[in-house]
Amino acid sequence: MAANLPPGFRFCPSDEELVVHFLHRKAALLPCHPDVIPDLDLHPYDPWELDGKALSEGKQCYFYSRRTQNRITSNGCWKPMVGHVEEPILASENNKLVGIKKYFIFYAAEGIKTNWIMEEYLLSEHCTSHGSSPSTKSSKTRARSKQDYSKWVICRVYERSCEEEDGGKELSCLDEVFLSLEDLDEISLNGQISSPNS
Amino acid sequence: MTENMSISVNGQSQVPPGFRFHPTEEELLHFYLRKKVSFERIDLDVIRDVDLNKLEPWDIQERCKIGTTPQNDWYFFSHKDKKYPTGTRTNRATAAGFWKATGRDKVIYSTGKRIGMRKTLVFYKGRAPHGQKSDWIMHEYRLDDSTSDTSVIKQVSNVMEEEAAQEEGWVVCRIFKKKNLNKTLDTPFSSSPISADTRNQMLSSCDEDTIDQTFHYMGRTCKEENVADNSARYLNYVHHDGFMKLPSLESPNSISSQNCYQPMITESEGSITNQMSCPLDPGLDNWATLDRLFAYQLNGQTETSRQLSCFPIDPTMTYCTPTDLHHDLRLPNLRSSFPLPSNRSYHGTQDYNNEIDLWNFTTRSSPDTLCHLSNTGA
Repeated sequence: MAANLPPGFRFCPSDEELVVHFLHRKAALLPCHPDVIPDLDLHPYDPWELDGKALSEGKQCYFYSRRTQNRITSNGCWKPMVGHVEEPILASENNKLVGIKKYFIFYAAEGIKTNWIMEEYLLSEHCTSHGSSPSTKSSKTRARSKQDYSKWVICRVYERSCEEEDGGKELSCLDEVFLSLEDLDEISLNGQISSPNS
Repeated sequence: MTENMSISVNGQSQVPPGFRFHPTEEELLHFYLRKKVSFERIDLDVIRDVDLNKLEPWDIQERCKIGTTPQNDWYFFSHKDKKYPTGTRTNRATAAGFWKATGRDKVIYSTGKRIGMRKTLVFYKGRAPHGQKSDWIMHEYRLDDSTSDTSVIKQVSNVMEEEAAQEEGWVVCRIFKKKNLNKTLDTPFSSSPISADTRNQMLSSCDEDTIDQTFHYMGRTCKEENVADNSARYLNYVHHDGFMKLPSLESPNSISSQNCYQPMITESEGSITNQMSCPLDPGLDNWATLDRLFAYQLNGQTETSRQLSCFPIDPTMTYCTPTDLHHDLRLPNLRSSFPLPSNRSYHGTQDYNNEIDLWNFTTRSSPDTLCHLSNTGA
């Protein structure tokens, strides 16, 4: 997939990129370059089946799907995550609403909550009606285009782990400790605490 | 090639949308740095050379852009030069400030084998020793030639030689700005990422599980740290008589450097140790809270108060708790191996400074200090 990129490059799209570049272009029938995200129907696949079918990068899977209310898979179903409202995706250049992100959580067949999370990206309604749909020549095309435009979603699926790894990206716990020690040091040097005698 | 996704950084072409340069530590060392040191050509000039003495961190940002995508971190090669012709310390000063090493180096493994080390540095504006700490952090990766099974033994005997040899040559670096949402002392409770519940639990409970959670919260990245190895290394420093004496030689305070390790050998068990970890947490922003903590400990646990009574009850005590915590939680078996006496009184601040000095000595020990050592060692 990304064979031509040197080592170290990874698919880590921002929300905006997913919506503006990948979802918008897909919906507008524009060529996606690079065409890396496969087109899957959500329903048949349990989250653990996605590996190998969806685009996997690290622990995240990406794929296109359709807008649907039916989120039942063979071994469970996706339910909206409680406490997560729809998250607006804004274009960084003009703060315009370009899409929304919804959160789902996977429940196994017995209704057992799992750690599988799905983030579903949709183009915003605003985007749909006022969007820069390329084909606006006839009302017929526009109608069809609008229909196309609104039916696509991008899903990002991952298994939430309580031990998030950052691959050494951030400061390690010990680094943090030493840094905060130096903070304390500075404070004591500034005389903000009483001298240590008792 | 079905898809032409090649990029050319200097030729201004872009990284394909959605892609970022997020190399693993292994990729940095095994692919990029290894090619660099062996003068192999790297097809794409993704990682550029930077003279650390000439560029400020904010300039590096500009120089090390990859494509036009937004970046949170920047990568470059740097050639380490000695600070002084006779010494081994690296000069990392720029026009506006300097990079100062912090903490201890982390071992990088690839498929179970040690391949290199990572040093963490912080950028200070101004001139040492009055620099002002910034949010700029650098991870400096160096290849480790001694990728043999004996590397652990080597650490014991040859720490200084090894460190000295590592102060020259190519390294690959990554800089980023520290996220400020946690780990700052002046963060008010309200903006703390810790929920009120967690906080209350922290303050009112000695329950091991809660504390484990707290600790886990503090150190999500702990997992990455090779604790056993690093700790062993640290212990080696401690056991090294030369190192132990270094700070007192030049310190006007003339405090035995052993004092600064003293808290590590307290026999405090889980609860008190863990409670003492709280000051590291962003949620605890003032000493009053700390006092409450200690008061709680004293009232609530006879065992604890007995132990605490060895020390002046003073907030500064907590300076040494991170190492304490670290060893207690992870190396209970090693703790007992400390040969240090436990009945010394403890002077927090000064000792703490000594401890940091000690660290600097151990990470950048130079022949100069060795010289001092041998002269005064008798």
